[in-house]
Amino acid sequence: MSTTHFLFWFLSVLAIFSAIMVVVSKNPVHSVLWLIIVFITISGHYILMNAQFLFIVNLIVYAGAIMVLFLYVIMLMDLNADSEPQKNKWLKIAGVIGGGALLLVLVAALKDADIKNQLAQTGSGQIGLIHNLGMALFNDYVVPFEISSILFLSAMVGAVVIGKK
Amino acid sequence: MNAIIITAVWGAVMMFSGIIFKKNDTIRFTAILGLLLLLIGNIMEMRGSRLFDIDVHNMLYFESFGLLFNSIAFGSTLFYFLLSAKDIEKVGTNVGEYFALIFFVLCGVSIISSFNTLLMLFLGIEILSIPLYILTGSDKRDLKSNEASLKYLLMGSFSTGLMLLGIAFLYGASEKGTFFIDDLAIGKAVASPLFIVGLILLMVSMAFKVSAAPFHFWTPDVYDGAPTVFTSFMATIVKAAAFIAFIRLFHDSFNDIKPDWQIFIAIITAATLLIGNLTAVFQQSVKRMLAYSSIAQAGFMLFALLTLNSTSQEGILLYTAAYSIATIGIFAILIKMKDYTFDGFNGLAKHQPVLAAVNTIFLLSLAGIPLTAGFFAKYYMLAAVLQTGKFLWLVIFAILCAAVSVYYYFRVIQAMYFKEGAAQIHETSPTFKALLIIIAIIVILLGIFPQWLIDTLYNINIYG
Repeated sequence: MSTTHFLFWFLSVLAIFSAIMVVVSKNPVHSVLWLIIVFITISGHYILMNAQFLFIVNLIVYAGAIMVLFLYVIMLMDLNADSEPQKNKWLKIAGVIGGGALLLVLVAALKDADIKNQLAQTGSGQIGLIHNLGMALFNDYVVPFEISSILFLSAMVGAVVIGKK
Repeated sequence: MNAIIITAVWGAVMMFSGIIFKKNDTIRFTAILGLLLLLIGNIMEMRGSRLFDIDVHNMLYFESFGLLFNSIAFGSTLFYFLLSAKDIEKVGTNVGEYFALIFFVLCGVSIISSFNTLLMLFLGIEILSIPLYILTGSDKRDLKSNEASLKYLLMGSFSTGLMLLGIAFLYGASEKGTFFIDDLAIGKAVASPLFIVGLILLMVSMAFKVSAAPFHFWTPDVYDGAPTVFTSFMATIVKAAAFIAFIRLFHDSFNDIKPDWQIFIAIITAATLLIGNLTAVFQQSVKRMLAYSSIAQAGFMLFALLTLNSTSQEGILLYTAAYSIATIGIFAILIKMKDYTFDGFNGLAKHQPVLAAVNTIFLLSLAGIPLTAGFFAKYYMLAAVLQTGKFLWLVIFAILCAAVSVYYYFRVIQAMYFKEGAAQIHETSPTFKALLIIIAIIVILLGIFPQWLIDTLYNINIYG
């Protein structure tokens, strides 16, 4: 078992464990902290695939900026056990059945997935390097790149409409 | 391409118009001017003259079906602006921004009527949705509007998440890894489980956007809570656009493996028709009844997805046109009412004979009575199913549901003509009434000569 293999399994197990902890934690602040660990482990997967730029962007934007904002929002909302709404028992059972059925379908689909010729290019992949990413983004994907600016503009206008008195 | 760029630029223009112009009238005229330019630009593209020569790397694909739908959507929005723009101003203080957001929604509409990759579909759906979340919550003093906005945002984000998951699965399942919808088509090959899961996730998220049962639970609350002017826009143009995207996606990517998914769509259609029509019967508020009726109408539009043949392509364009302009007309009258319940319409015919008459025509069209556009729209949908030779039970079921829908549409007509009362109504201008009469004439003309619209589909020459 090489170092890459070891790191892959370590990161994967840690990612799944922290993702479960996000859901089961009683304290919302703990959930956010676990979510930060999920993002860090996923960033680790990027570095295993030699995608340094994606690694640093994921770390700065998701694990850093967005999660800090998230923490602030949760602190401002001042959540605690007393104000938590009690959920109907039947609603919980329905949720477990629905989620379980989705899990079953996803596992069944992924179990038979054909992956023999599409293994991850650990350590040698060139796709995530900043040069290649830039070439792809500003050549093939320049139209979606520009069009997404309309999305951000509309979100910005919306924030002003909602936020202004 | 003309439409995408003009909408985006005019959205920005409307943003600044809120700063530059102090009078709401000027802002309104700027918006209407932009919409006229947009309509002209789109018609120019239908005749083969493109204002912008952009290499889109095959990510957008402009053909007559999408372009004709654009024209229908922009035409309906023009009527919507002319009828209801003054009421948009009454929602709040950020008038320029409301118009800007509507233009951004139209940008999303023109993207999802021309996407050729799942990436553009996702961007289009998001550009369509995010301004709508804001418009739903634009009446900030009203608690119901806030609740509707938050509900819409949470549910909408969740369904977008499902869509992205589906796109990821489809990317993994395709041979070379592709987002292009025509490369996703697998021909006669047997679909892998991974592919089917991706397909179903996409189907669920799109069914959410068109508010098909059982993914419709957000619709009545959001449509009821949003300011009525914006409900009118959401329930018509936006919903029709989501249908066009749904049909384009399934037509190009999944048409070959129809037997795998057709039964799901058949069940969704039956459930949508049943829930939409039955729940609409029990409503007391006309606004909420129209929300459920929009679900019921979505059930009929789902027939186009079930069949995916040329009759259904013609039919869905006629359906979106008939449904959009009739619903916009009804909402424009509803906004003027002081009481949104059925009783609020009591005796409207005595005081406002013109409004009552045009409202009757719109309601008859929605119910699908002959000589109105709604009749042929429903006829084309059912004919498309009969051509396939399957799902006869669904056709019979749909006719029964249409009969149920007559009941709740006629309740409004009954209240207007046969009940005593003094319907309270806000001031209406003569131009407003004249415009409603013009729309009613269009509804009737489309009901007598539906070929006018359908022939246009085949007379478009996008290469000039």
